[in-house]
Amino acid sequence: MTAATPVAASSAADPLPETGTGPNRRKALAALAIRLGALLTFAFIMLYFALTARGFLSAYNAFNVVEQSAILGVLAFGTAVVIVGGGAEVQTGGIDLSIAANAGLCAAVFATLSTAGFNPTVVLLATLGTGLAVGALNAFAVVGLGILPLLATLAVMNVAAGLELTLTENTVVSAASPVLAFLQTGRFLGVSTLAWTLILFSALMILVVHHTAVGPRLYAVGGHPEAARAAGLDVGAYVAGTYLFSGFCAAFASVLLVSRLSASTPGTGELLLSVLAAALLGTVFSRRFVPTMGGTLLSTLFIGFLANGFQLLGVSSYWVAGVQGALILLVVAVTSFARPQEH
Amino acid sequence: MTALAIDMTGISKAFGPVKALEGADLKVAYGTIHGLVGANGAGKSTIIKVLAGILTPDAGTILIDGRRVAKPTPASVEALGVHFIHQERLLVPTATVAEAVFLNHEIRFGPFLDGRAMARRAEALIERYFDLRLPAGTLVRDLTTAQQKIVQITRALARKAGVLVLDEPTAALVRREVDSLFRVLRRLRDDGIAVVFISHYMQEILDLCDEVTVMRNGTDVGRVDPKEAGIDAIVGMMIDSGVGEMYPRRHHAVGAPVLEVQGLTLKGAFCDVSLTVHAGEVVGLTGLLGSGVKELIECLFGLDRADGGSIRIDGVEVRLDAPNRAVGAGVGMVPEDRRAHGVAIGLSVRENASLASLARYSRNGFVARGRENAAVDGLIRDLSIKTPHRDALVRNLSGGNQQKVALAKWLGCQSRVYVLDEPTVAVDVGAKVEIYALLNRLAAEGAAILFLSSDLLELTGFCDRVLVVYRGGLNGAFDAAAVDGDTLLAAASGTRSETRGIPE
Repeated sequence: MTAATPVAASSAADPLPETGTGPNRRKALAALAIRLGALLTFAFIMLYFALTARGFLSAYNAFNVVEQSAILGVLAFGTAVVIVGGGAEVQTGGIDLSIAANAGLCAAVFATLSTAGFNPTVVLLATLGTGLAVGALNAFAVVGLGILPLLATLAVMNVAAGLELTLTENTVVSAASPVLAFLQTGRFLGVSTLAWTLILFSALMILVVHHTAVGPRLYAVGGHPEAARAAGLDVGAYVAGTYLFSGFCAAFASVLLVSRLSASTPGTGELLLSVLAAALLGTVFSRRFVPTMGGTLLSTLFIGFLANGFQLLGVSSYWVAGVQGALILLVVAVTSFARPQEH
Repeated sequence: MTALAIDMTGISKAFGPVKALEGADLKVAYGTIHGLVGANGAGKSTIIKVLAGILTPDAGTILIDGRRVAKPTPASVEALGVHFIHQERLLVPTATVAEAVFLNHEIRFGPFLDGRAMARRAEALIERYFDLRLPAGTLVRDLTTAQQKIVQITRALARKAGVLVLDEPTAALVRREVDSLFRVLRRLRDDGIAVVFISHYMQEILDLCDEVTVMRNGTDVGRVDPKEAGIDAIVGMMIDSGVGEMYPRRHHAVGAPVLEVQGLTLKGAFCDVSLTVHAGEVVGLTGLLGSGVKELIECLFGLDRADGGSIRIDGVEVRLDAPNRAVGAGVGMVPEDRRAHGVAIGLSVRENASLASLARYSRNGFVARGRENAAVDGLIRDLSIKTPHRDALVRNLSGGNQQKVALAKWLGCQSRVYVLDEPTVAVDVGAKVEIYALLNRLAAEGAAILFLSSDLLELTGFCDRVLVVYRGGLNGAFDAAAVDGDTLLAAASGTRSETRGIPE
């Protein structure tokens, strides 16, 4: 019962139909309800923590959360860009499951080379190179070989995790470097370097993705590759670029990670759940149900405050993982319900 | 401005041994609407792809706006102001109208997007050409099909198109939207833009075009004024064998009632519909979207279960509450969406053609391959299905030939009743004539044919009687030979209610 049957009728002077026909309007209202609902839930949870968790509202705690969220935020931006460029369909769209494992590998490279006494510039370049190489592998698997991102990056995730274990033999590799010292103790206007990193990185992402031509093109590539191609865009290059960017984010986050712990530690890959939760949760803040940079920042902070609130309330951190998993399910279910069926 | 907008001369293009184009010309002047017609395989799409820079011609010269284009590429052709409105709606569903209009050609302020300028310009263009206030922030996915088409055209206008090429732009539009589109195209023509219009609908060509290039077998066989030449002459030029008529006549007598529907009702769709189709008779059925005509036909397919009423075939009451029961009762059906329901595109011609009648070729439960092959080859010959061999995948056939395979499926079964839903939509003229001839053959063998269509010419030209559904009920039964399209349209839109000609 899809297509238009009609011989259709009426006077030729009629203008074309206006927007906002019945089902569309209902759909738009549902979408609005979901967005408002998400914001209200966010506010409600914050309010709950503010009333019950001692010290939750203090400036110290707030900055602490922002600092803690820096690593998560950088990784979530990487993932969000991949989802934008690959399309927000959960099963077939863009996703980078390897980003956390990649960050772990990069952290291991950074810590190992620093300990071995290499020049900080060399160490940074090697770390960056590692992240980009893993990103390039993803890009090759997805764009070159045409493997579904979900599977391709799952495989690459294991490659990266395996390499990290080979490098560190599953131990903590402590590291010291002038870069780390700057990140650990640097402050400007009373705000720590880590917090500044998140603020500036977010501002840069919002500027580039939402205020330059890169943004609409990237959304077009993810939203309807054929249309993007017809508009003269090199779809493959854009998609490959998103995986390279997420590789860059992994490398960047790994430096922040090592600075926070003064070491590379096993288990970085476990960040994946939080990263996915932050990137996917970000989609509910957009009327198109695609990730936006502002939405990603908001949901990153939300995830950060959630973990922090549970901690202050003395709830076991194991619960946080469960809550994040449930959030992912909820967001995916709600947004795929609200997203109109295309094609 | 004396130069032609498009001046293609002697274009040839071969794919291996197949000559898709052989010395074809296409000449389009500024300020005209130029129709491009031809059966599938005549070279229409090949010459357009050459113009678009997608295919490189083997020979011939191309001048755009008087300038020689040695090697057209999609980018160089666009830079010369030639824009293509593809048949598929190539728009990003999650983009806003402004983003879709300016994708890859954004208006910028330094390195940054000037969103406000893009919104203003998109809205101004749409209002100027389409008399439509469409907020630039609306998402493409919330637009109607017609509005999406508007955005596609606006995209070309924003880039100062000199030539606009539209490939089957009306395929998914309803009549009123088609009329609006035509008004816009005329306005663009009056602004001096050259419009190239590709369509299978002869009536549209007649209504809209100032000039028509007719293609056949890879070359242009005529450039005529459609109003002077008339549809029959154009169709005659398109078809090889010179099939004189678009709608072949039937020469057999109409027999006893075969399909009798009494008081059929489906809640919320139609109520108390009674109709009769006799042996050897072709009855057209039409109605607007939402009139219930679609649901009626689906009830006869067994896709929907009626709430009340009765259906008799050859005087025997049947219950059509599932497609397999409909088939069992002797109903052969050709659904509208042939790729989804009519044929299995992943299977071969042979498998599709014999699917419904496998039992007849079977012995002791095994398929007798020799008999099946012979029968399928016979069908391919009879229907002139253009396929390399019987084991070719249906996916690779043209639309018209897929439709013929969908029909071939039922030929083996000798069904009593054929229910067809828009069997000639998006089928080229040559294949249409062949489908009509095939239906005539079925009718001559004594089958009753019920035919849902929105093509007024087809209804009046091909059917014996036309039934019009309006708001869930029959609003007229017309003798096809004595009715015109306007009357049918009036009945379908409820502005006229009468029964004329042969009563039930």
